[in-house]
Amino acid sequence: MAVRLGARDVAKSYGAVRANSGITLEVAPAEIHAIVGENGAGKSTLMRLLQGLEQPDAGSIVFNDRPIRLRDPEQALGLGIGMVHQEFMLAPELTLLENFVLGHEPVTAALPLGRHIDWRAARAAGDALAAKTDLAIDWDRRAGTAPVHIQQYTEILRLLQRGMKVLILDEPTAVLAPQQADDLFTLLRQLRDQGTSIVFISHKLREVIALADRVTIMRRGRVVASSRIDETDIDTMTRHIVGEAASVAPPAAAVRAAAGAPVLDVTGLSAPAIAGSHPVRAVDLQVRSGEIVGMAGIAGNGQDEFIQCVVGLRKPSSGAVGLNGRALAGRDNADFRAAGLGYISPDRAHEGLAKSASIEDNVMAASQRAPAFRRGPFRRLGAVRTEAFRRLSQLKVRFGRLSDPVASLSGGNQQRLVFAREIATEPALLVVAQPTRGVDLGGIAAIHAILRDFAARGGAVLLVSEELDELIALSDRIVVMAEGAIVGEIADETATPEAIGRLMLQQDSHGEAANG
Amino acid sequence: MADATAEPGAGRPSLMPALERMAGDIARFALPVLFAFFVGAVVLAFIGENPLDTYALMLSEGFGSSRRIAATLSAATPLLFTAVATAICFRSGVFNVGVDGAFVLGGLAAAAAGALLPVAFGWSIAPLAMVAAMAVAGVWLYVPGLLLARLDVDEVVSTLMLNFIALGLSGFLVNTLLLSETSGNNTTDTIHDVAELSRLMPPSTLHSGFLIGLACVAAYWVWARWTPAGYEAKLVGLNPRFARAVGIAIPASIVLVMAISGIVAGLGGASHALGQVHKFSDGFSAGYGFTGMAVALLARNSAFGIVFGAVLFGALASAGTTIQLFSDVPLDIVNVIEGTVMIFAVMELGRLSLRRGRAS
Repeated sequence: MAVRLGARDVAKSYGAVRANSGITLEVAPAEIHAIVGENGAGKSTLMRLLQGLEQPDAGSIVFNDRPIRLRDPEQALGLGIGMVHQEFMLAPELTLLENFVLGHEPVTAALPLGRHIDWRAARAAGDALAAKTDLAIDWDRRAGTAPVHIQQYTEILRLLQRGMKVLILDEPTAVLAPQQADDLFTLLRQLRDQGTSIVFISHKLREVIALADRVTIMRRGRVVASSRIDETDIDTMTRHIVGEAASVAPPAAAVRAAAGAPVLDVTGLSAPAIAGSHPVRAVDLQVRSGEIVGMAGIAGNGQDEFIQCVVGLRKPSSGAVGLNGRALAGRDNADFRAAGLGYISPDRAHEGLAKSASIEDNVMAASQRAPAFRRGPFRRLGAVRTEAFRRLSQLKVRFGRLSDPVASLSGGNQQRLVFAREIATEPALLVVAQPTRGVDLGGIAAIHAILRDFAARGGAVLLVSEELDELIALSDRIVVMAEGAIVGEIADETATPEAIGRLMLQQDSHGEAANG
Repeated sequence: MADATAEPGAGRPSLMPALERMAGDIARFALPVLFAFFVGAVVLAFIGENPLDTYALMLSEGFGSSRRIAATLSAATPLLFTAVATAICFRSGVFNVGVDGAFVLGGLAAAAAGALLPVAFGWSIAPLAMVAAMAVAGVWLYVPGLLLARLDVDEVVSTLMLNFIALGLSGFLVNTLLLSETSGNNTTDTIHDVAELSRLMPPSTLHSGFLIGLACVAAYWVWARWTPAGYEAKLVGLNPRFARAVGIAIPASIVLVMAISGIVAGLGGASHALGQVHKFSDGFSAGYGFTGMAVALLARNSAFGIVFGAVLFGALASAGTTIQLFSDVPLDIVNVIEGTVMIFAVMELGRLSLRRGRAS
């Protein structure tokens, strides 16, 4: 088989994390090739390698059947490999036409001094391309005000104008309505028929079935399956994507105390979306003391918005949030903390920690006004320091000096520090998001033990994770979120990755029924 | 990287790292100054002056005798206030450049109170004048603080513009309402003798405002290190998202540091009016707010650094004026050195250090 773009035994590691290992990919000329997998499966890393943003540790990138070394994205563009990013790279203040020619403007052939951009030629080129692909584009519109799918078309045409032979699209339908997605597919099929190869990254298996010629499935940095699309189906793909769930030991269920009184009580919660995600739609959820409730869902389906509402970082548009019997919807994080909240942020680097602050400052934050650490208007620095040692040693955080910047700790130790801070105040509810992201295996086991211990002592835990294994191993029950709503709930005994995965991925049919 | 064998208990502070840190702090303070003097030397050589002779003269004019030292400290006095007023904001990631305007309005309020309050009030005039100055300047910077905290109005733009308004407003008032009857224009009446701050080393102009300035620096150090609000302001400066997620009310923190900044700048203006010039006239601030910013940047918002920086810039200012008398070196060389210090101070090997500030 001829290979337009591909990879041969490619490996790439970041520190201890093997993001890609032994990856072989073959995208044929005039083929739509879907790449699917969970978040963290290594898709983005592979795309970065294919674009020349990074170089593989081992193996090689293949272009037109020959191994090549891509030094940088410029070289990839020169060869005709172009990428349409999830967030479009148009200049919002410029018109679509200006964006279309930006960086390779046609110029009049006059004397150097009188040279200027030949807008007539630019428009002609744009119109010709648009006509070839059956698109109508109002070139004079400012990019920032154009509908999102028109922006996407402009970006695609812009790459075609520069002679791209391969287009890489990163979840192109994430921001599109179903009808717009259908139009995009028509365009992509047309481009394929005209000889362009298309690499299509998606979470939505129905789209993959509808559009792709071949599919490659990644899991944990490896290719686990690759086949023609007519030789597979959604169930098979789902099984490959989520894998088997045996890798994490199940909890000793007998130890678990029966769930007690409700600690977190959310009713009818709705909230506006963060850009590119889904708004939260009328979510009801209770978490009782001693209970770990897992929340599953593909990234960007409203989980982030939901968590932010439940920890006081985002104002819901409607609905109630009760914590320990206090109505807190729309209040500040400080009020939630006063009512008994601990919060493990999904974004450890930017929200869970102040990276350049010291270990002491990080582990003692949020306690600075507690009576134990104050004498009159002043802080008791000695007591603060003693407590910092106590918190850190309790969760066995390995560190050098309290005054070291927290960035000097390893990822796993940083996350332990976050837990040490959030558990030290003995909260009634711990909202935990992506607790083991970027943490090595030993650290994962320790963090799971912390969570089980917290629940066993009567704490309530809301656990949001993209790791299905983790959810199944820790949760008493799992709710699944899709497109901003809770679409199903699975008790621990019946939870399998397949069952959860089916609920997570069923959003396609639901979404079309709801939006279409 | 954390050492895998290190026990948690190994985190006790030892002497060596403390010394290392201190050496690092001194280097970060000294290098910009050395670079600046080097650039100044090049400029001096270019205009045909011997840099070493000039610097030797500046050193003796700055610190050569107790009188010269008193003149240096006198010139450093307003900088203590303006540097603290700037550092307290920079430390929280608030780029307040309006200290000069607050200093001017504080000076105007103090001079007006010092001249217009009945002389029968006696010794209480000076403290009342200071309170008036702090109130006026505190409100002056509270407003852009509120605009930033509530409406996200860029503080650089608002405070920079407020400087011009402060200058225009004070210029208007000293030519109309507050114009002295005994003098031509642009000036208020001289304050009552009883309202003057005491001179510490007559005949030098060093006055007790210098001690108030040192007290401000000390209070800043205590606030930053020993109070919950100071700790919270630091976290806001280091990482606002983190601060918010640990329950810190960022708007309140921003408004607080802006108001304190105004109060300190206003007190500085009062000290300058009551201790140094004894009245308010146009051109009251010789750019003290901006030199104070250079001091705060050089000190990386540290309290001790502010004292050193203020004395350094005070020495440059006081020596600069006299060397002009004794040599052909123009006063502008001082501006060259000041400006260069500022540039090198913010470089920190190519990284802006504003958000890494601390006061210890």
